[in-house]
Amino acid sequence: MTNRLKSIARIARKVGGIRKLILILLAAFLSVTLLLDILVVEKIFDPLVYLYTVLGTLVVLYGIYPLYTGRRLVSYYWERVRKNKLAVAGLAFILFLILLALIGPFFTADPTTVNFEEKNMPPLGFTIEESVYRPETQQIITKTITGTEKHPLGTDNKGRDLLAMIVSGARISLQVGLLATGIAVALGTLIGVTSAYLGGQIDNILMRFTDIMMTFPFFLLLVLIVFVFGPNLAFIVLVIGLTGWTGTARLVRSEALSLRTREFIMASKALGASDSRIILAHLIPNVISLIIVIATLSIPGVILAEAGLSFIGLGDPSVTSWGMVLRAGQQNLDTAWWVAVAPGIMLFLTVLAFNFMGDGLRDAFDPRSAV
Amino acid sequence: MNHKLLEVKNLKKYYPVTGGLFSQHLGDVKAVDGVSFYIEEGEALGLVGESGCGKSTLGKTILRLEEPTEGQIIYRKTDITKLGKKGLRELRQEMQMIFQDPQSFLDPRIAVGQSIGEALLIHGVKDDKEREQRVMEILERVGLEGQHGLRYPHEFSSGQRQRIGIGRALILNPKLIIADEPVSALDVSIQAQILNLMLDLREEFGLTYLFIAHDLSVIKYVSQRVAVMYLGKIVELATTDEIFQNAMHPYTEALLSAILGITQKDKTRILLPGSVPSPLNPPAGCRFHTRCHRVLPVCPHEEPNLKDIGDEHLVACHLYGD
Amino acid sequence: MEKVILRVRNLKTYFFTRRGTVKAVDGVDFDLLRSECLCLVGESGCGKTVTALSILGLIDTPPGRIVDGEVYHNDVNLLESSREQVRHIRGKEIAMVFQDAQSALNPIFTIGDQIAEQIKLHLGYNNRQARERVLSLLEEVGIPSPAEVTGYYPHQLSGGMKQRAIIAMSLSCDPQVLIADEPTTAVDVTIKAQILDVFQRLKETRQMSLLFITHELGVVSEIGDRMVVMYAGRLAETATVTELLNNPKHPYTVGLINCLPDMTQGKDRLESIPGTVPNLIDAPDGCLFHPRCDKALAICSQEGPPSVVVNGEHIVFCHLYSH
Repeated sequence: MTNRLKSIARIARKVGGIRKLILILLAAFLSVTLLLDILVVEKIFDPLVYLYTVLGTLVVLYGIYPLYTGRRLVSYYWERVRKNKLAVAGLAFILFLILLALIGPFFTADPTTVNFEEKNMPPLGFTIEESVYRPETQQIITKTITGTEKHPLGTDNKGRDLLAMIVSGARISLQVGLLATGIAVALGTLIGVTSAYLGGQIDNILMRFTDIMMTFPFFLLLVLIVFVFGPNLAFIVLVIGLTGWTGTARLVRSEALSLRTREFIMASKALGASDSRIILAHLIPNVISLIIVIATLSIPGVILAEAGLSFIGLGDPSVTSWGMVLRAGQQNLDTAWWVAVAPGIMLFLTVLAFNFMGDGLRDAFDPRSAV
Repeated sequence: MNHKLLEVKNLKKYYPVTGGLFSQHLGDVKAVDGVSFYIEEGEALGLVGESGCGKSTLGKTILRLEEPTEGQIIYRKTDITKLGKKGLRELRQEMQMIFQDPQSFLDPRIAVGQSIGEALLIHGVKDDKEREQRVMEILERVGLEGQHGLRYPHEFSSGQRQRIGIGRALILNPKLIIADEPVSALDVSIQAQILNLMLDLREEFGLTYLFIAHDLSVIKYVSQRVAVMYLGKIVELATTDEIFQNAMHPYTEALLSAILGITQKDKTRILLPGSVPSPLNPPAGCRFHTRCHRVLPVCPHEEPNLKDIGDEHLVACHLYGD
Repeated sequence: MEKVILRVRNLKTYFFTRRGTVKAVDGVDFDLLRSECLCLVGESGCGKTVTALSILGLIDTPPGRIVDGEVYHNDVNLLESSREQVRHIRGKEIAMVFQDAQSALNPIFTIGDQIAEQIKLHLGYNNRQARERVLSLLEEVGIPSPAEVTGYYPHQLSGGMKQRAIIAMSLSCDPQVLIADEPTTAVDVTIKAQILDVFQRLKETRQMSLLFITHELGVVSEIGDRMVVMYAGRLAETATVTELLNNPKHPYTVGLINCLPDMTQGKDRLESIPGTVPNLIDAPDGCLFHPRCDKALAICSQEGPPSVVVNGEHIVFCHLYSH
């Protein structure tokens, strides 16, 4: 048994670390499944799953694990964040949201179950009067409907449980937010850092490319994709991610440019470090704090973008997102107001939470701000 | 007589300046403009000059941290300007640098032990335990404790950080160390500690130093010979004693007279008029002539060469021409 | 006739941080006389800049606060004056040249405009009068072609010129006292000599009092009349410059002087002071220098040192000299 471990360790050393080994194995596995997916008709994995696995692994290996090895530094920063009450409140809400998204679906009804008997029920504790015109008797009958425990937040005009829809929406929003931002920020960082460090012509080319991408009409691209492939959440995520990296690239590049002249970069070079080593081991870790702040402040924008798309009908109809619920609720705003208010409040709080946390992180990371 | 460890011949480093609508080449910042000297094995050569004279650029160019525009850098009979990537990598084990700013020469995001150990990692020491061991040894050798390697730069004082910087430079056992203003940013009492450390290490490890500084009294203490730079050129080069007792070049005279000692008060101070001209457009002829208190008619027209006027005392000045 | 322009008594400025109270300045006394240059000397962290900022009421509160002491300017205690009164004095009677002089100049205005603004604000001159005054000030600090330079932007000037421009700006309202915080530290050797020359002339022609903060003993020797040595927020020694540099008593002062490479004529090793400056939050008991002092007595770790008059105005704060 130990021999097997030893040989694994030896292979890992050859490749440049156990983390690289894991990545290589994962890449190999996913390539095989991807190939099979394309060749064979029956889908093995939903495209979203690919995105999750890759990003998730990267985050755990290069995001979570370094937090453990650098826990001295982490606790130093955490102390600083802790003092900002709003940031902590934001963080608490986000954690609640994550919890809701993870385990909420197990406790709530199916958001897609349609039940016209129970349509337009108000939330628990509210009573409304509904007037219905009965053509057969030519009468207008007024009913009072009270909220029940079965549907704590009420139902929409098709009888779908609002709480379940909100929970589902939380899941979707977080997924889209984290995934799309992850892609955008990763791409932006890579381009920004490379551009800054290598400089010269490469910098020129990359930055002009960034300029072009910035003017890219992401919305039109989305409409086109929806038109051709049909609405699909994975595509939405990809499109947002692949067009949203430009701001990050610019910011990261400017930070990396000022870092490049710091003496520790030159010291590394003097020790014989290769360009890739300097970029990966020195430049990127020093822009991580900037990246975290950018990511945290971008997520709300992405969530709103997806909500907006769903609202106007370009979203994926097979998933229930907050934008979808808003769209449903918009029609009956005067009577069944809760259908629109619930997702509205959730969006509002979520955006606020990420913004507060992002601000708090920014202050904590800035050495000049006295915390 | 020791052999020459490093010889620099007519080294130039120009930074092109572009501008205009089509990024035309407007000119060059001639940071280092034809510098030649040698350092013997085991010697400490001081390189002194004010800001903008090119001494830092010279140090970096010798290490090929900046690419030379022209000239030769001969290390132990090999012209290292011609080395490819692999040769350069190996060269790093022979020559290292100590930097100036303690706030900036350590990566703030990694533990100092990692910063030091990186050198070993790059040069093939893959075993974590071995690296850790050697890092601890070096930390103790420079006056810190072994377990300090786990701490981050912000947990140390400036003087301690400079010790870490020195440790990092030494861990590969180089022969030549280029020290770029290593004590300029330190308090006087810490300065003394670090200078003592550097001298001890020189003895213990048989190091050769190129010591760059702007403070002449520090240079005097550390070096056997001194080179004085002005606007990209060496204007005088001699033993430390000769420079301090028998300075020839008017710029050296002015530098010496500007030293603020706490003892002599009756010195006549030479105040140089104006300020250092831009290296983009240095004065014609002798670069110093615009501020020289002993200028001759020939100075604005002809540039003086660095000449040996006896006892290996080199001066570039028309006052000592033929 | 020596008139005391500034009298500082028992000044204590503390910074209240989460990790503890930093006693940046802990009981500092000195007098500044008319037309003299008093040097506040010490290494980084000794409290000299905080002292200057406390005098002018420029301490960031929170986290800092002047917890005790008096600062008399012409018999008025600045620490008890209203913020209006202090603001009135700042710049007009007591001017300061800060340490990072480069960033004291606004890069988007010309030199002339920046200095003129001060003049118009404090003295109420009109444009023409202000212009004239700017020219005379620039000339006074030795800037060549003042008429041209008034139209320059800061980035067009060399380091030495910027330094002079800032000094000119501080002089614009003819202050009685000029506090200069390390004005020659980041400057080249030849420029240093020039700047000190400027200060010397100003002192003579204007009969201005100069509170000169520095850590370079060479500079002190050049321009100072009297000097005060600070260590870790407290006083170590004070005397006239000649007396103190020739006859230092406090072990820290002795150590500082011996550290200078200048002094090692023919010695193999530089003398250095072992150890480092204490953490001002968790300072040791008694004399703050005792952990590094090779002459420490038993009492040094228990009681703070008394002030002992050694010789006329030469005062040292050390147990070695008290009987």
